[in-house]
Amino acid sequence: MSKSIKLAIALLLGLSAPAMAQDIKVGTIFPLSGGAGPDGQSVTNAVKLAIQEINDKGGLLGRKIALVSKDDESTPAVGVSRANEMIAEKVDVVIEGWNSPVTLAMQPILARAGILDITAVSKSDLILAGETNPLAIRINSSNGFDAGVIAKYVAETLKAKKVAFLTQNDVYGNGFQAAVEAEFKKLNFAGEVTTTEKFAFKDTDFRVQLTNLKTANPDAIIVTNSSNSSGLPAMVEQYRQADLKSAFVGAVGIMLPTVFKVAGVANDGIVSADIYFWDLPPFNAIPESNSFVTAFKKAYGVEPDKSAALGAAALQVWARAVEATKSLDRKTVAEAIRGKTIKGTLFGDAQFLPNGQLQPRYVVFKVVDGKTAKLEALK
Amino acid sequence: MNIAQQIVNGLVLGSGYACIALGWTILLGVARLVNFAHGQLYMLGAFATWYAITKLGMPYPVAILAAIVALAVLGALMQVTMMGLVMTQNLTSLMIVTLGLGYVLQGGSALIFGGNPQTLPGTLSRAKVDLGSLWFTWQDVLVLVATLVLYGAVWLFTQRTRFGSVIRAVAEDPKLAELFGINARIVYLLVFVFECSVVALGAALVAPRSPILTSMGFNEVIMTFVVVVLGGIGSIGGALVAGLGLGLFIAFFGAFVAQAYTTAAAFAVLLALLVVRPAGLAAK
Amino acid sequence: MLRAAAVAALVVLAFFLPRLLGGTSVVYSTLTTIAIFAVMCYGVDVVLSYLGEVSLGHTLFWAIGGYTAANLSVKYGLNGWSTAFATIVLSIAAAAFLGAVTLRTREFVFSLVTYAAAVVAYEIAFNWEAIGGSDGIVGISALKLPFGVATYTGATQEELWPIAFALLLATLAFIERFRRSKLGTTALMVQMNPPLAASLGVDPRKVRLAVFVISAPITGLAGWLYAYQRAYVGPDMFETYFLVMMLTAVVLVGRRVLIGPLIGTAILIVQQNLLSLGGDWNKIILGSVLALVLIFWPAGLIGLFRRFVKSNA
Repeated sequence: MSKSIKLAIALLLGLSAPAMAQDIKVGTIFPLSGGAGPDGQSVTNAVKLAIQEINDKGGLLGRKIALVSKDDESTPAVGVSRANEMIAEKVDVVIEGWNSPVTLAMQPILARAGILDITAVSKSDLILAGETNPLAIRINSSNGFDAGVIAKYVAETLKAKKVAFLTQNDVYGNGFQAAVEAEFKKLNFAGEVTTTEKFAFKDTDFRVQLTNLKTANPDAIIVTNSSNSSGLPAMVEQYRQADLKSAFVGAVGIMLPTVFKVAGVANDGIVSADIYFWDLPPFNAIPESNSFVTAFKKAYGVEPDKSAALGAAALQVWARAVEATKSLDRKTVAEAIRGKTIKGTLFGDAQFLPNGQLQPRYVVFKVVDGKTAKLEALK
Repeated sequence: MNIAQQIVNGLVLGSGYACIALGWTILLGVARLVNFAHGQLYMLGAFATWYAITKLGMPYPVAILAAIVALAVLGALMQVTMMGLVMTQNLTSLMIVTLGLGYVLQGGSALIFGGNPQTLPGTLSRAKVDLGSLWFTWQDVLVLVATLVLYGAVWLFTQRTRFGSVIRAVAEDPKLAELFGINARIVYLLVFVFECSVVALGAALVAPRSPILTSMGFNEVIMTFVVVVLGGIGSIGGALVAGLGLGLFIAFFGAFVAQAYTTAAAFAVLLALLVVRPAGLAAK
Repeated sequence: MLRAAAVAALVVLAFFLPRLLGGTSVVYSTLTTIAIFAVMCYGVDVVLSYLGEVSLGHTLFWAIGGYTAANLSVKYGLNGWSTAFATIVLSIAAAAFLGAVTLRTREFVFSLVTYAAAVVAYEIAFNWEAIGGSDGIVGISALKLPFGVATYTGATQEELWPIAFALLLATLAFIERFRRSKLGTTALMVQMNPPLAASLGVDPRKVRLAVFVISAPITGLAGWLYAYQRAYVGPDMFETYFLVMMLTAVVLVGRRVLIGPLIGTAILIVQQNLLSLGGDWNKIILGSVLALVLIFWPAGLIGLFRRFVKSNA
């Protein structure tokens, strides 16, 4: 080879070397302040840890992953600003979403900029509706599937004759109730829905509704309340104070650690379901889950809850897809996830529907001891 | 019996509204000051009580006093900074200044107390009373009794004592009162300190019902607004009647119509009333 | 003559500002956002400057604009002109109603009533599934403004910038005209010297209503354009985030300063995007700035500026 060609090759290699060592950027947008701040921080911490695990093993595609974390303050207009900042920082993926309106506002912006957007927690069905983000991916379960589990328990296990609803008055709560009622029809439910009481997300006093429910005295009350830091624990306590004899059946995923921490023993006897428990089967048999739990406990002093698991899973799913396709391109990675199965996540094999929804594995549980959050899985 | 229980519920809710509204209506009536930091002061009152109980080991009654004192001091500081605007009665700027101060309180509290929910142990909120088929807690009784006593005391003070008439004079016409040798500054300062103290008391009594968060404040006091305007700005008796009345309205509207729309209904009633009678229920 | 040339030069410079700052989509979106929010603030500014009142209900008109654009374009496929026209009509109607209700109220009662109206409107928007419900309306398609044979499409931030710029310019021109108009000067006289106005036979209530009604479509059209920019509209349009921005931008610089709200908005957006210290510290900073500016310079920062200019003269 001639001297000049060797020189040219050396120059080219020298120029490209720094580019190869450049970090891959993962952006997270969650509420880090305000009412949902602690929750958003927990999810962000989980993503951080999942990144750490990958970096310790040599990184992704030979490069280290760097985390860019931003606060959406649970406000859509702020989320939009943060999404624009992510675009300016040229991140390779954004993992976002605690509040649905914030996710819905950010989606079109990230999609237009060609950045892959993975929704970790927000539950709105519109997120996967397709128009504003044709390549949407969501880790948390949707109301439609959730309803099946709860309806089945109430109809077939509890065999309730009279059922009432205590529903949060928004698209999430009303949507869940409508889905459960549709499932009841499908199951040819023998019982009847006698009462529906509603409340606003921000409410903390439920005497009026509980009084009505006590009078109706159904066998079971299906409760949908996503205010895990204030409304729901207050509701649980007031439920016990009002001495309601009806079975408290909580919607999927509402029994988060803060509910146990605040309401303590009042939680005893509550039945609900969720899609991840670090200490219950089948999750406690998954090696990736156990290693993540150990690392999380070491780093943050508590075991990861469902929300943290969603954040970590989002990162892991994306990282595995990137590894498999050797690409960071939005379309390529998204199509390696949507409708496919990603192995090796803390959820085990993560199966995705064609619309981007992760298929959940539910565990129905009963609260044995509210103070220590000890749960018993029901068959 | 559903109706009897809903009446109890209404009185419980209403006494809470009335208790929290008292300071705001007096401040508005005397100094014409819309205190947009009211919600954050409520939140701080709750956290001060919590801090006193859990970190300083005080028993509940002492913690209530501690919260009142803490907020009184804070109120004095706030009023001193705003005094210029109050004396020139620059009401629009005052409104926005209190909004700004409220934001500072909210951000500051979040940094100091953190974002996690807290509960107040050692209160009577878990001590249940069962009267036949009716239920409520001793805390609810405490709130109702304290509210009635408070209103009675304040009414007596403003109507029967000399200082009370001084306050009423300043409320009527500050310039004229000054001509008579009354120091309006001191009056404004004391009234603002009173507002902060009373909202601290209200918070210490009502907040134990549910977990407290540094992000709360606005929603908790939104009904204050309706109570004050319905009852007539500055009217003490009006605020009590409006507070209890609103509580009963919320209970019955929620029980027989739809609990989820009670805020909308309350505000719609307020708007309708203001169209018909701009001065509120207690026209002076 | 020279002044007109200087203004024209500034306008041209402002129009090309995004390109001068790099031309990335982020620059375009930030400047478009500033323009839209500034127009939103001008509605409140008109009421504050010419009536001396603080309207806490302008989020109502902002939301009317957003919801009208969203519903009419998504459900009926109407183009930008139609939705803008509908926005103006609905804002004026709502303002006429609210203005009539608040006709006899003053100062804080006026503020509280406008606030109550916004709360009721929020509850309606939140609960009414047909117009969006609690999750709002997604997938608002690009803004289409047909001009005879061609159609201007505002799909990207670059394409929306000229519209936002034009709206801002139109607002500034309108307010400048308003200041010199009969209604504007009459309103100022009613505010500053009520006995003089009364002796001249001016009906203050008519003036109040007129000014309030005129202020509404300004904020309404800002909301209209915001719907297209964000492609998503929801009850969050009523959030205190927008209300506080309106109040801050309007009082920060001062009253009846033409570009005051624009500068105020720009400062707020720049701080939020570039100098953000986290949600809690941002609140402390915003609150402190608001309180301190008004305590020391009740007339706004312009008071400081004028004093500085005077002392150097």
